[in-house]
Amino acid sequence: MQKTGFLPRIAMALAMTALVGACSSGATTAPSAAAPSAAAPSAAAPSAAAAAKTFADMTVGFIQTGSESGWRAANTASFKETATQKGITLKFYDAQNKLENQVSAFHQFNQDPSVNVIILAALDVTGYDDVLKEAKAAGKVVVLEDRRIDADPSMYYTYIGSDFINEGHEGAAAMCDLLKAFPADKHNVAEISGAVGASAAIDRAKGFREKMGDCGIPDPTSLGLSQTGNWGVPESKAVMEAFLKKTKNIQGVFAHNDEEAIGAIQAIKEAGLVPGKDIMVVGFDATADGFKSLISGEMGADIECNPLLAPQVYDAALKALNGDTSLPKWVPSQEGAFFAAQGKDALQAILATRKY
Amino acid sequence: MSTLRSVIRVGGVRDSRLMVPIVALAAILLIDLIVVPGFFNLEMKDGHLYGSLVDILRNSAPTVVLAIGMTLVIATGGVDLSVGAIMAIAASVACILIDPRIIGLNLQGNITAVVGDPTYSFAPIPVVIVASLVVAVACGLWNGVLVSFGRIQPMVATLILMIAGRGIAQLITNSIKIIIFNDAFAYIGNGFIILPFSLFIVVALFAGAWLLTRRTAIGLFVESVGISFRASLYAGINEKRIKLFAYSFCGFCAGVAGLIAVSSIRTSDANQIGLYTELDAILAVVIGGTLLGTGGRFSLLGSVLGGLVIQATQTSMYAIGVAASAITAVKAVMVIIVIILYSRQVQDLGGRLVARLGRKQAAT
Repeated sequence: MQKTGFLPRIAMALAMTALVGACSSGATTAPSAAAPSAAAPSAAAPSAAAAAKTFADMTVGFIQTGSESGWRAANTASFKETATQKGITLKFYDAQNKLENQVSAFHQFNQDPSVNVIILAALDVTGYDDVLKEAKAAGKVVVLEDRRIDADPSMYYTYIGSDFINEGHEGAAAMCDLLKAFPADKHNVAEISGAVGASAAIDRAKGFREKMGDCGIPDPTSLGLSQTGNWGVPESKAVMEAFLKKTKNIQGVFAHNDEEAIGAIQAIKEAGLVPGKDIMVVGFDATADGFKSLISGEMGADIECNPLLAPQVYDAALKALNGDTSLPKWVPSQEGAFFAAQGKDALQAILATRKY
Repeated sequence: MSTLRSVIRVGGVRDSRLMVPIVALAAILLIDLIVVPGFFNLEMKDGHLYGSLVDILRNSAPTVVLAIGMTLVIATGGVDLSVGAIMAIAASVACILIDPRIIGLNLQGNITAVVGDPTYSFAPIPVVIVASLVVAVACGLWNGVLVSFGRIQPMVATLILMIAGRGIAQLITNSIKIIIFNDAFAYIGNGFIILPFSLFIVVALFAGAWLLTRRTAIGLFVESVGISFRASLYAGINEKRIKLFAYSFCGFCAGVAGLIAVSSIRTSDANQIGLYTELDAILAVVIGGTLLGTGGRFSLLGSVLGGLVIQATQTSMYAIGVAASAITAVKAVMVIIVIILYSRQVQDLGGRLVARLGRKQAAT
């Protein structure tokens, strides 16, 4: 971080004042654009065929949504760094959260003969039909990252992004695991959800409800123990305080991001209870702060939401250039889950390798 | 009924500015009494009071502190939109002074030392507090200079810091959320002397502000500047200096609120600390009966009650279990009711009704 110039830091700081993040919180810590990337280059080298294209033959037009959150900053940095590492020529376009900017940039990339791959982080679910047709006619490979669009799947190669419902499933599984410490009739979980209407919040809640029955967790809504924490520590803490006044019969907290988990942990401690022992906490995103709570044992599990999608996206684009059509239309991003039970030392070793 | 009538006669509904916030607060607590069993339960836990009422008092502390400062600014005919951002700046300054090692991501080496040490602080805690407050006052001073010497509209002048301030706060901590483990610092927002420690801060600040404005001429000067800065000027009041004072004091209050907020959550969440609290503070002042826009007469106690009304609404909604998507709507209804209560027409109507009832009763 220290090597970063002053201006980029101001720009980043200003960008971070914006709240909405695609992935969720918009409040994750951002890695510096200059930090060396350790993103594992999982690129299986293209098979030896002489005609096979390599990353050096790839010129990417990348249309980013904007720079509205820390998550987004990490996402952009990932694409820039990985391109440098792999020798990909990257033409980066920041649409400043305007759909018309995205469409005109798309149009421009379609006309640019040097560009053979177009990567889109879509701002909206519709509005790209014309430029997608144009891209198809021009023979460009189109890969969608992070955000899905409503378009005929034949119009793009593949979509790579988070599966929030699956994250919800993993969160439920982790919670079930943690609740093994309690008798079966004591599996009451409070939910602190993300901003009302955010897709990450809706789908994580949905995923959790689909799998919570596996170990007999009752619906938090029916218990009156579901409320928004607006992705932040302060509101989450106030919500959890009120929940604990209502009932002491709470064994778990399902928070939709790390900040909310941290807020809930504060409230639990103040009520004289021990997080990680009396009440189990599950969070999402796996930011550096979340890791610290995991290391101290206060958070039980943290499900990752990965902004470093570039290696996966570039690999997919290379496959497309080489005529490989085996990829499904949706490739979930590679994400993990981390547990306090992994132990301090192991977690610290993982944290040391992480970028956000 | 006769007592009610005499209250109306003596104070006059219209003139008793504390009436509306008191009625609003009572109504909210009445709803809680009926709907939420055990809302008024208080128990002693680890030597301090524990319960929903205590939560309301404690969580209202930042809003109330902001409202005290905001009252003076609004009384001068201005408004300060930047208090939320100043809170975030003060919070960031405090956290970075307590734990500067965490700048950047090169914290892995000593993370175990950082995690959980309840006594570690890079700068002594008094230094941390003073430095944060000095920075907050400087921010307020900046607003004051723009408004009084720059003659910029208060809303525009403070908008600058409102937008830039959060960025500055991010910059200070490198947009990393610093978790504070220091127990002495956490005492500000989390400590108890039977009642929450932050409550004592609020009382001290209120007493200070009240003495300053009601036991010296400053309060009068503030009101006269709000009513007519030109007339004040001709009367020999240095209106620039009064405005400078009001905005600096508001910045100071924002700093105090920021310290309470950050110490309460033990995390320098520059994105969220003080977010939208400027609106809550303005609302508290308006509920308290100080006129927004025109300035003039102000009521510090009214603003304090206004802050309590807002927090009581929030806590009650959590306790009742209002759905997340409906919370802002419920809050809006509360605001509408309070504003209607202030409407002269409605008050006249109410006054006439009560008077008629009184006459009837006297006749029988």
